[in-house]
Amino acid sequence: MLDFCQCTRILPARHRRRDRSNRNIMQKYEKLEKIGEGTYGTVFKAKNLETQEIVALKRVRLDDDDEGVPSSALREICLLKELKHKNIVRLYDVLHSDKKLTLVFEHCDQDLKKYFDSLYGEIDPDVVKSFLFQLLRGLAFCHSRNVLHRDLKPQNLLINKNDELKLADFGLARAFGIPVKCYSAEVVTLWYRPPDVLFGAKLYTTSIDMWSAGCIFAELSNSGRPLFPGSDGDDQLKRIFKMLGTPTEETWPDISTLPDYRAFPQYHLTPGLTQACPKLTARGKDLLQRLLVCNPALRLSAEEAMAHSYFNDLDPAIRNDRCQ
Amino acid sequence: MAPSKVLTGQPKPTAISGVVTRRGLATRQNKEFIPDASQKQNLFKDTRIKRKADASPTKDKVTKRYALGNITNAIGKTISTQIQDAKKVAKKVTSQPAKPLTQTTANTRTLDKIVTCKQENIPQSKPKQSVTRAKPQLKKEEEKTEIPAPVIKALNAVRRSIEVEKSDESSLYVSALESLPEESKRLSRTSKDSAKIEAVVKPNNALNQEPEGEKSGPNDRINRNPCPVRKLPPGVSWDLDAENWADHFQVPQYAMDIFEYLKNREKLFVITDYMERQVCLSKWMRSLLVDWMVAVQESFELNHETLYLAVKLVDLYLTKVTVGKETLQLLGAASLFIASKFDERIPPMIEDFLYICDGAYTHRELTRMEINVLKVMDFDLGIPLSYRFLRRYARCAKVSMPTLTLARYILEYSLMDYATISFSDSKMAAAALFLALQMKDLGAWTTTLEYYTGYKLKDFADIVNVLNEGLHRKQKEALSTVRNKYSHKIFFEVAKVALKDKLEM
Repeated sequence: MLDFCQCTRILPARHRRRDRSNRNIMQKYEKLEKIGEGTYGTVFKAKNLETQEIVALKRVRLDDDDEGVPSSALREICLLKELKHKNIVRLYDVLHSDKKLTLVFEHCDQDLKKYFDSLYGEIDPDVVKSFLFQLLRGLAFCHSRNVLHRDLKPQNLLINKNDELKLADFGLARAFGIPVKCYSAEVVTLWYRPPDVLFGAKLYTTSIDMWSAGCIFAELSNSGRPLFPGSDGDDQLKRIFKMLGTPTEETWPDISTLPDYRAFPQYHLTPGLTQACPKLTARGKDLLQRLLVCNPALRLSAEEAMAHSYFNDLDPAIRNDRCQ
Repeated sequence: MAPSKVLTGQPKPTAISGVVTRRGLATRQNKEFIPDASQKQNLFKDTRIKRKADASPTKDKVTKRYALGNITNAIGKTISTQIQDAKKVAKKVTSQPAKPLTQTTANTRTLDKIVTCKQENIPQSKPKQSVTRAKPQLKKEEEKTEIPAPVIKALNAVRRSIEVEKSDESSLYVSALESLPEESKRLSRTSKDSAKIEAVVKPNNALNQEPEGEKSGPNDRINRNPCPVRKLPPGVSWDLDAENWADHFQVPQYAMDIFEYLKNREKLFVITDYMERQVCLSKWMRSLLVDWMVAVQESFELNHETLYLAVKLVDLYLTKVTVGKETLQLLGAASLFIASKFDERIPPMIEDFLYICDGAYTHRELTRMEINVLKVMDFDLGIPLSYRFLRRYARCAKVSMPTLTLARYILEYSLMDYATISFSDSKMAAAALFLALQMKDLGAWTTTLEYYTGYKLKDFADIVNVLNEGLHRKQKEALSTVRNKYSHKIFFEVAKVALKDKLEM
């Protein structure tokens, strides 16, 4: 079944009849199968009939009585148009027809969640290292181009046949200014949400993604067992503090001024984190501890993390990749 | 441009304004200043989550105005309203030393309005449930604005907490005040943090060392890398990012890269002189449109980035597509609509945009135009904005808040000036900052500024002149929104700063 069209470009709306665009349908893609539901639309696997290339098509419905292009779709498109990097999913094209937008993405075989599910036994420590490095490299690229992802989790990290990792789903991403301004506090999936955002912080910066990266690192090392699988905000914070110790004004100045700050029992630091990730080397544990810091000001940045000694023995082929 | 195209000072009903009258649409001047108490009540009733809708004026409380309709509006009514306005301004200046911004619900459209509200009733400054979210910081704003003389320092002290808690419902005046270069509170926090960083960096200095065994120190001892030493060219007074190393809200380790990147992207968004090709448009109409867009930004309390982005979208679209004048405001509205979705935490709803266009366009027309603009832009909205550069440059120069605000005024005023459309945004920011420094007698373009902007004075001197000429041009009543906005106390009345005839360049 053929479905997709490319419509005329750059014509003022008023001159175009409603279904003129459908007349120019260029049947360029053959839909193969449904892959899943994204934040705001259905995702299909499809084949570009001209190049035979397999792509992923994300369909965004535009209803007449709606708010036009959904802002999450708009941000995803705009930001991905700008972010071209090997560790970020490539947006090839955006097609518009009267009732929908179709985003044409590069296709990856699976996401990290599915990768975990399909593992037999334990994950190879070198793969952990490689995935984390690629994640950090993609993040550093976003951050140096003033973009926050704000929804990092295994489901949003795509893995292709060559074990290349790509950040995907920029539906919650946004460009940030310097200094940052107030942004939404309703971001990041609970398990990967940093304590400052859990306390309602609206003022946050690149460190928001670094916390998620830390959680994913731990999960990678445990072959897919999430580190902080909280059931709600309170439970989430409790799990974090039990493992890392409850932060105080001493360790995190001004913590009590956060919008939703509430006191928690004083859990003391335990060797919890190192015990929770037994497979990691000492260097790996050190890096993990520097990512999972409650006080956002003290969390490592992506670039700093990439320079950590944990990556000293990283496969040079991965490190030296030009990422074009 | 052919003079015949220019609709000048003595406006006549044109085809555009004809649209207004034919549709019998309300205009700003005739109703705006006579809100009665019952209508005001309505302002606080709606509890919908969407911010704009929350604060939307009800249909009978008119803040909207037809962008180009001003041409007609100006005829009969202006004289009387001008006098009224003038009185109000005068009153405001004399009798309102520091007006608390209780009207945070979006309707603080102009300062005249603020005054009206203040004078008319106090009870109405106690909005009910629907604005509870905004309440805490209303308090703060009151505290803030009640502080008299050395305002700057005082504002500094409360600014951060406002920013932290600032909801989008808060007054745009507060949002305009962000970016104070020196904030006592933040600084104290910063030094605390940096002290800690230093303290902990010592025992376990470089990350590239093998951690000793399995030891895990307490969480708070785990720390970031120390700030790398950046070699500054001679004459540069300070390394701003190093000084801010512990203040992650200033993103010190990416700031240099990001601004370099943005500067490099400027060439992707070149705007050329399009007015020759736009047979139905004139520079004057564009100015009216921008003036209206500023009014919308104020009344919807949009970020300034949203306004600047929207104006860019208008110009970039007009560079590529010819439009009729009846479409111009639709383009402006669609651009604001898109920019809001891109930058705002809670963008106004489409209904709000249709409303501020006075129903001149249908839902379908607006969504159509939205997608058209996006396609013409090829969906790339990462446009470098002069406003962002200015925030950075002013910080790098460590100028005071009034000086930065003056530079912002110059920049925002220039949005209406067609002569500036093709200048680079980073140079515009540099030029506005330089002109502000000149107007305040704060000296020349320093080596430090050269270093952070990458420009020597001669690189943007021509722009400074264009900006200065723009400020000197005879002020037109129809284009008074920016000036009124920056005549307000909260903006340090920077629009009243004496102009310079001669600049030291």
